[in-house]
Amino acid sequence: MTIRTIRPNRGQHYRPRMHCIKKLEAYMVEMQDPKSGLKGTEQKLNVTTIPHVITGQDIIAWLLNKMKVTKEEAEAYGTMLVAYGYIYPLQNHRKLVMCNDGSLYRFQTPYFWPTEKWVAEDCDYAIYLAKRNIRKKGVLEPFEQEHYTHLHTWLNHKWDFIVMQATEQYKAGKDRKKPDRVVLDCQERAYWIVNRPPRRTHSALDYGTDRLIDPTIEEKISFDQHRRMNIFYQQAIMRSKVKSSVSLGALVKFVNTYKSHDPFLAPCLPSNPWVTDNDTYWTLNIRRVDQCTKMRVERWSFSFFELLSDQRGRDDFKSFLKKEFSGENLAFWEAAEELKWGSASAIATKAAVIFKTFLAPGAPRWINIDGRTMGLTVKGLDHPHRYVLDGAQTHVFLLMKKDTFFRYLKSPVYKEMQNRALNPEPHNFSEAQLEQNSRNRSLGVHPITVWQQEEEERAKAAIASAPVDVKAMMSKIDRK
Amino acid sequence: MSRWRRSVDELQVRRRQLGECERGQEALSRVTSCFQQLSSALGSSCDGSFLREEMEESRVLAYKICCGLSRRLLGLLAEGDPSSSSPGERESAERIWVLFLSALEHFLFDLQKASSLIGRFPLTQRCDRRALVNTGSCDTMAGVAARAASVQTPWITVEEEPSPGLTNHITGLEDLLQDMQLKVSVPFWSVEATQQAWAEAADLMEDSMEDLMEVEVVSNENKMNSCCPPCCRLGCLLCLLN
Repeated sequence: MTIRTIRPNRGQHYRPRMHCIKKLEAYMVEMQDPKSGLKGTEQKLNVTTIPHVITGQDIIAWLLNKMKVTKEEAEAYGTMLVAYGYIYPLQNHRKLVMCNDGSLYRFQTPYFWPTEKWVAEDCDYAIYLAKRNIRKKGVLEPFEQEHYTHLHTWLNHKWDFIVMQATEQYKAGKDRKKPDRVVLDCQERAYWIVNRPPRRTHSALDYGTDRLIDPTIEEKISFDQHRRMNIFYQQAIMRSKVKSSVSLGALVKFVNTYKSHDPFLAPCLPSNPWVTDNDTYWTLNIRRVDQCTKMRVERWSFSFFELLSDQRGRDDFKSFLKKEFSGENLAFWEAAEELKWGSASAIATKAAVIFKTFLAPGAPRWINIDGRTMGLTVKGLDHPHRYVLDGAQTHVFLLMKKDTFFRYLKSPVYKEMQNRALNPEPHNFSEAQLEQNSRNRSLGVHPITVWQQEEEERAKAAIASAPVDVKAMMSKIDRK
Repeated sequence: MSRWRRSVDELQVRRRQLGECERGQEALSRVTSCFQQLSSALGSSCDGSFLREEMEESRVLAYKICCGLSRRLLGLLAEGDPSSSSPGERESAERIWVLFLSALEHFLFDLQKASSLIGRFPLTQRCDRRALVNTGSCDTMAGVAARAASVQTPWITVEEEPSPGLTNHITGLEDLLQDMQLKVSVPFWSVEATQQAWAEAADLMEDSMEDLMEVEVVSNENKMNSCCPPCCRLGCLLCLLN
């Protein structure tokens, strides 16, 4: 009676990165040894005393002694034990770290230990929240309240069972002695802090997606697989090689050029929208923006391909070419791209138009490519297919790259672009502002609007590049 | 005339069966919650043979209630029933069906966990007691065990079936779940909760006031009992900074 449609059941049941659990359990059991394990003291509370309380420094000292590692490693291991839920802190129950001082901890009962096979279910969480609600009369933490309302909607069909079970568990809990009730309450609270962490806290039980095969079993490789592996490696040896100094040099050069632009290595200015919910970065980098950011302009100078891939850069380059009266190369390149990526039914018509505009002898925007490529292309246009203009397109690309691109980089157009580029200040949001941002997330521009804008641009470009009617121009000049 | 009387008799029988089923569901809830409390003590310092025996007994009782309840519910909701019950009764029967299946799933989960814990912490030898985790609880759980034992099945048990062992119980429950879902198809989204959200807090007003205050005071003590020795004020600071 549980809706299990989180993902389709393709047999993916194995939770990876959980096989450390066996080793952790072994250590936990060793800690309980009366002779060589940890000695607990009593915790004095207002009305009762509860045994078996240990301090953080005791645990870390025991780990240092047992595992013979450095102090930092023992502290990290201790924090891992707390984060996985084997030991829980008594003083600050929300912060799952092991402090190397006198702060108090207690062992978690094995019923609440993390397991590889079973996930903490929503139904159990709902029962826990209902029980807490009964105990605290509606005063739950805000994230718990959100979970409660969410579960009330999703588990509505078994809500009566949940409430019944919660009341029964609450009443059964009252049959236990006072110190045990406190202990049980702490245990349950610690378990659910680990398994349903509050917002914006890191959970150690985050393991990614489930796997199809059990990662802990050993696989036997068959004879046929060995044979195939041998053939593969023999063919790999026979391939032509590049010296590693050469290839590594190229890699180093690439990294040095792009390292300040990499989204992981360098912070994104003004702020990463996925982190701070503020989409200034995206609005500054759309196509129809007047002032570009400095990073974007710098990126155009890296390679010609970068310039052409960014639409804004392409527009800028186009306006530069118009001043130089040599726009036909770029126009041909764009037309060839459109042919390549467009619909199959339009290939024949597009190819005919391109031939008439760019390739035919005496065409209005004739491109200057070498005779062999021209001959091959024209012959291919008899039976046009998607990649018929590839050779000519590459040739034109190389022409532009070797000649026009460097002139563009030295031109006043580009220099002015660089001067006008703005460098946005990095944002520095406080916690409250971040909450505000997450509530004010807007929908952004509708894709249909973007498409309409692009259609307009295309229409304008078509009009601008329509072959100049010589007769009309002459008559206009005569009339003047 | 006799047909009318027969239908009245049938109605009364149905109503009695529905009442039995509801009380059976409540009894099952009580037994499973006691079982959960008992199994949360497995492997801890208050684990012992007494606990495990009590767990066995409550498990057996739960098994009896499950069997009886599943039989009665199947009888109520079997397809192709000639004497069609009124829609209200059918609705309440479907409600109990959905709640019973949820309870079965929940209990099955608990059973699987308990069985793996019993395998992990066997108490066959004296040296095994060293492996038990010192969780701070020292209760013998006698109160919870008594509560579990006080639950009675709402119907008279005439038949005496032998109760299965733990692993057989688990496999039997899994089979029962599948079986029941195959035999009767009840769309579980058609069942709605009878209680509003947050309503359960108001029900138990009377007897939990002093409880609340005591436990709250205790948890405040938890925060203030920063048990660093009085000389170690720096320790407190470091803790806060962490």
